[in-house]
Amino acid sequence: MAAFIQLFVSGLATGAIYALVAVGFMLLWQTSQTINFAQGEFVMIPAFFVLWAIKILGVGFWPAVGIAVLASLLILGLLFKRAIVDPMLKHGVLPLVISTIALSIFLKEAVKDFYSSQAQPFQAMIPSEDLHLFGAVISSQSIFILLIASAAVLGLNKLLNGTRLGRAMQATAQNPSVARILGIPVERMIMYTFLINALLVALASLMISPIYLAKFTNGDTLGLAAFIAAIVGGFNQVRGAIVGGLILGVIENLAAAYISAQYRGAIPLILLIVVILWRPQGLMGRAEERTV
Amino acid sequence: MDTEHTTVLALDNIVAGYGAMTILNGTTFKVRRATITTVIGPNGAGKSTVFKTIFGMLKARAGTITFDGTDITNTTPRHLLACGICYVPQGRNIFPELTVRHNLELGGFAAPSSINIDERIEAAMVRFPILRQKADAQASTLSGGQQKLLEIARGLLLDPKLILIDEPSIGLSPLMVQETFDILKNLRAKGVTILMVEQNAKSALQISDDGLVLELGRTRMAETAETLLNDPRVGQLFLGGAMEPTAA
Repeated sequence: MAAFIQLFVSGLATGAIYALVAVGFMLLWQTSQTINFAQGEFVMIPAFFVLWAIKILGVGFWPAVGIAVLASLLILGLLFKRAIVDPMLKHGVLPLVISTIALSIFLKEAVKDFYSSQAQPFQAMIPSEDLHLFGAVISSQSIFILLIASAAVLGLNKLLNGTRLGRAMQATAQNPSVARILGIPVERMIMYTFLINALLVALASLMISPIYLAKFTNGDTLGLAAFIAAIVGGFNQVRGAIVGGLILGVIENLAAAYISAQYRGAIPLILLIVVILWRPQGLMGRAEERTV
Repeated sequence: MDTEHTTVLALDNIVAGYGAMTILNGTTFKVRRATITTVIGPNGAGKSTVFKTIFGMLKARAGTITFDGTDITNTTPRHLLACGICYVPQGRNIFPELTVRHNLELGGFAAPSSINIDERIEAAMVRFPILRQKADAQASTLSGGQQKLLEIARGLLLDPKLILIDEPSIGLSPLMVQETFDILKNLRAKGVTILMVEQNAKSALQISDDGLVLELGRTRMAETAETLLNDPRVGQLFLGGAMEPTAA
């Protein structure tokens, strides 16, 4: 039982990180039809911003974190939208998807060539301690991640549902042409979602990198996990992405321990197939109709 | 009938279209203050395009649009809302997953901070009690007629002087059509000007003061609604008269 609790909680922590990444992924899709296949690399990169700031600028960890968050907002938020999404989206969703795939390869190779191909140790935001709860040993990291992720999700929810600005962002996602008619600055609302996504991936990066180490290939698993979490939960619901992420993290961890560690990577895909067959709109999603 | 001071909206030789396709080809007309003016015309005549061009959603390539004496050609919806114009487009235009209250609230998004949105929402709910009953329900749960009502109430939130309303009756029950038209008549009585496009041309002209016939992006006729209702050519083409081949 103790082992189960340990696995469950650490799975929940990983799942919470997946959830943050999946929520960002879905916000971009909802407001601008951007399917960002570089989302995994977006989570890999901010850790390298931190390492780069420490190495090149010689600053301490926390100032480096500040620089990394700022760089994420500018590069993964603003620049990504202006330089890739805006020009490509005019040509349709598919050209944009292919561009984001190209971007993911570019980011991966850039880190490998200009920083390192080796996994880099990455400092955790709080010291690691083992907490004894109900006979199980739980890492303070897991609890910290769960707290931060919950705070991020609650904050986001507060913004989207509790403020006029957030509701204008939702309106933009639901019906951009009507939003424009009401004088809502649609372009600015979309930009805000890109900035929110940049914050979410930066946060995820800072929390996952101490566990996985910072490595140029991290985006592969993370991007896939976020994508699957979004589909499993339901592509059109933020709470779906959260549930999807948590389920995925827990199942992955439990399956690795109780079924087969070797097939750990296959578990998310099996989950994806099962959900698509049994409930294609996702666990929390609504069926969406599209006229062709 | 058009002395200058009673004209609230004037289009002068407007040219507009989509890409290489020109839809409005020198459209010219005037709308008198505190009237209901209905635009009729065959499909493709440019009725909805006129509205999009007035409301800055489509660029006018030539010509001028004047509202209350000021040039508003090619300005933004935000600016036009501030001038006192609102646009209720064709079809369903609500935000389905937001509540009725929040849909209404967004009608005031462009408002200057001096306007108390909550008061305006409250006033809208007094005026349309069904919106209060459903205030906290998702807008998607409203019936088609209630959704149209919500759209109109949302458009009225900033107290517009001119309402552009495109096919308000489409998909509504006869009773709801009557209710919608009554709302428009009430607004006119309060001095609001209404420019409407309507498939249901006969009933629309019956509540209108003026009528415009648009054909191939040009104003074919600009008459009082009564004159149009009694014109045999118009009757034949748009008011449900038989579509006989024109006798030579």
